[in-house]
Amino acid sequence: MGIDRTTVHEGQPLLDLRNVTKHFGGLAAVQDVNLQIWPGEIISIIGPNGAGKTTVFNLITGIYRVSTGDILLEGKTIVGLSPDRIVRRGITRTFQNIRLFNNMTVLENVLVGQHTQLKSSVFGALFRPPHTVHEEEEARKHAIELLEFFGPELVERQEEYVINLSYAQKRRVEIARALAAKPKLLLLDEPTAGMNEAETLEAVKYVRRLRDELGLTILLIEHKLAVTMGISDRIAVLDYGRKIAEGLPEEVRRDERVIAAYLGKPTTSERETEQQAAE
Amino acid sequence: MAVSTNDRWLVPARDTRMLLVKWVLALLVPLLVFNFAWQGDALINNVILGINNPAAANTTLDQLIEAAVFVVVFYVVILILAGYLVASDSGRRGMVEVWADVLVFLVVPILLINATANLILGVAVSAIVWGIYFLLRKRIPAFTRLQPQSLLDNLQVISQEQRAAIMNRARAGGFWLGASLALVWIIFDILFYVSGQLDTELLIFGVVRTIILPIAGFLLGTLGGRVALRHVLNANGESENGSRQKRERLQATSRVREEAADVVPNDLPLRSKGARNFYLLLVIVFVLFYPAIDPFLFGYGTNGRLAGYGDAGFYVILALGLNIVVGFAGLLDLGYVAFFAIGSYAWGMIGSTQLTNVLNLPPINPQVLSVLFWPMLLIGALIAAFWGVLLGAPTLRLRGDYLAIVTLGFGEIVPVFFLNLDQYTNGTNGIVGVHSPAFFGIDWSTITPVPYYYLILALIALTIFANIRLRDSRLGRAWIAIREDEIAAASSGVNLVRTKLFAFGAGAFFSGIAGVYHSAKLGQVSPDNFSFGDSVIYLAMVVIGGLGSIPGVIVGALAVYSINLFILAQLDSMATDPTNFMYGVSHFITQYIPGFTFGNIRNLVFGVILIVIMIFRPEGLIPSARRRRELHHEVNEGPEEGALDVIPTAPGFETEVHVE
Repeated sequence: MGIDRTTVHEGQPLLDLRNVTKHFGGLAAVQDVNLQIWPGEIISIIGPNGAGKTTVFNLITGIYRVSTGDILLEGKTIVGLSPDRIVRRGITRTFQNIRLFNNMTVLENVLVGQHTQLKSSVFGALFRPPHTVHEEEEARKHAIELLEFFGPELVERQEEYVINLSYAQKRRVEIARALAAKPKLLLLDEPTAGMNEAETLEAVKYVRRLRDELGLTILLIEHKLAVTMGISDRIAVLDYGRKIAEGLPEEVRRDERVIAAYLGKPTTSERETEQQAAE
Repeated sequence: MAVSTNDRWLVPARDTRMLLVKWVLALLVPLLVFNFAWQGDALINNVILGINNPAAANTTLDQLIEAAVFVVVFYVVILILAGYLVASDSGRRGMVEVWADVLVFLVVPILLINATANLILGVAVSAIVWGIYFLLRKRIPAFTRLQPQSLLDNLQVISQEQRAAIMNRARAGGFWLGASLALVWIIFDILFYVSGQLDTELLIFGVVRTIILPIAGFLLGTLGGRVALRHVLNANGESENGSRQKRERLQATSRVREEAADVVPNDLPLRSKGARNFYLLLVIVFVLFYPAIDPFLFGYGTNGRLAGYGDAGFYVILALGLNIVVGFAGLLDLGYVAFFAIGSYAWGMIGSTQLTNVLNLPPINPQVLSVLFWPMLLIGALIAAFWGVLLGAPTLRLRGDYLAIVTLGFGEIVPVFFLNLDQYTNGTNGIVGVHSPAFFGIDWSTITPVPYYYLILALIALTIFANIRLRDSRLGRAWIAIREDEIAAASSGVNLVRTKLFAFGAGAFFSGIAGVYHSAKLGQVSPDNFSFGDSVIYLAMVVIGGLGSIPGVIVGALAVYSINLFILAQLDSMATDPTNFMYGVSHFITQYIPGFTFGNIRNLVFGVILIVIMIFRPEGLIPSARRRRELHHEVNEGPEEGALDVIPTAPGFETEVHVE
């Protein structure tokens, strides 16, 4: 994409979170978060467990409604839109705990992802006029192209029920499903969770390819710091629902508040730090 | 697999001989039982005698011709099937297993239907035998002996020579079945002729048949072989073979098993996809020509039976409609009867003098009124669909149990609404004098139920067609996605509101059709046909048949109808007939429990049957592939054969998403 990652961006951000706050009863899960995402960026949100990362995703994708504040996509607000409307506007996502349609085939999963791209309705379903048949064929072709992005294996297993796939493959199918809606912004919720090292490396590769080859803007939540530091153009850090830092990976790594809140002492393991943070 | 490259087609090679004996006997025995234990040959004989001498026959010429067509199609399909079965068998399963299957699944029902002289009762009793057989078969080691060495073995690629050998086997299969059938048949005919029980003209026909059958068998067997070859894996060079093998190795075991079940050669050809198409064809032909062949098979009382089957038909439509809501979209609807009531009242009001009386309008000419039935079939369905959408709208924010409670409420409100709107609907008296439809030239108001039989067949066909088309469309995918995971569906761009409303609307549409048909056929609308119990019965049909499975739901509807509304309802009348078996049973019970009637325990028996079915077959009688997978999930757990990647344990994998 040829974006200079250090310069100040011109024009408007792709996604603009303005003072976004979300209350669950008395608890503020997300508080006054400001974040700009520019076209062609890979940007990560990190933070200890319960910091509100996934809540931010759910707010952007319309699963939760913002309490106060505003979320703008290309300058227009998307607050109050239903999740499917937001998909139509160009934001799709994956889930931390993979949410595929387990009893549908790989191909069918991707076809559901194309729902917004297809037009046929009840009439088309019942009478199958030529343009509906054509549309279905094209949809299938496109779905297979999307699977090809992740290598030949998924194409060969396209008729397989998703429930039979391995964990890493499920993640790929979920991303393929998210890509099917032709998004501008892709939200990946821990795309390497539960993967071994080889698989993580593979995942990092295709996240980069998503940006470089498909021109997507990517917002991701990631727990593995090595992954985040390596992949992201910028990193935002959340703690107790507030954004405590934002910047280039090196800047964030050196930020004292981040170290205090998240990284902890080098000797303590990540898990323990999270537990402390949760307390 | 027994493959012979022997070119002689009539005298089979040694390894093919066993296959021929296996399948010719497997098909011949049921045919002979049908012909000689029942009136199967009487059907043919009566047709021939009737056509020869129409004045003496007690049936119309039309019926005779229809019956003749049925007989011809029946035997043609059987001979093609013989070719297919011999050609597609891998020969790895022994004869005894096949014969036991055929005995239980074909011979037993034929004998039972003959013994009870009642199609539904016979099939129902057979179903009990089938259930016991299923349970026993698992416990008899002889039947579990054969385990396929490897699933990949089944998916072997067939070379050109092997194709020729399959063709030869198919021809031999058709020929030998035709020949042995002709032979046994003519021997019996000669015996009957000598003893003076057979007319000369029938013997002449018998001789002609003896010549025709082997030739027809040869030709039709070839056709069966063609069908079988359509299911083989073709060898298009070595690379194709390799990639296929590789692909199968990538697939999970369950998936390979599914594919192997349909590919030729096959361990279980009777259950393969090719054979299932033949069964479907036989069922369709049987159902289409049933009104003509019923008198030959069951004697007097055709009209009563046809009327009963017509009733079963509208339950099929109702169940298929409910299947869209519950089976596809996964929305539990306990008030489905409401839309049936709306459809019934739609035609009940228009199709009688009710509406014109209430509005003080001059009555519509009855002949015009009857023709109005056809547009009203659509309009009534649309009205029901409209209310389906309207009633669905407030329930959209609800899920699962809460949704069920609200739909339950609607199911109660709508009939009560009609009941209390008595200045329009006559309240508890219902609407009488509802017109039957008219079709140019055919008078529907006479006592023959044949037009209704064909009407309901056509409506069922339309409903099935619409169901299949909807299921395989963008909309159907969205329904299933919602059923699987609402959040994921919404995040994939599925509009939950519209998609769910479409499901409610489509489901209500079909129950509207059923309602219009029901009120026209019954000639009246009675408010006590629409109780909560009916909603539950429809739901039971869908669940017992198999949620989301179209053939399953049809079978479920027929099964529940025949158990609850046919057999259990008739037990008392059977018990009053001294010649009936139930008379003895009833007599025995009344000795210990005075005042016992079957009517008292009808619901109890029905409930027990439902529980037994659900315990032994929770996925339904004919489950959809998805549903079977869901309920037998544990089979798929653990490392899969063919799964390349390791399944890692996921640390820190708690759910964070809570839905508001």
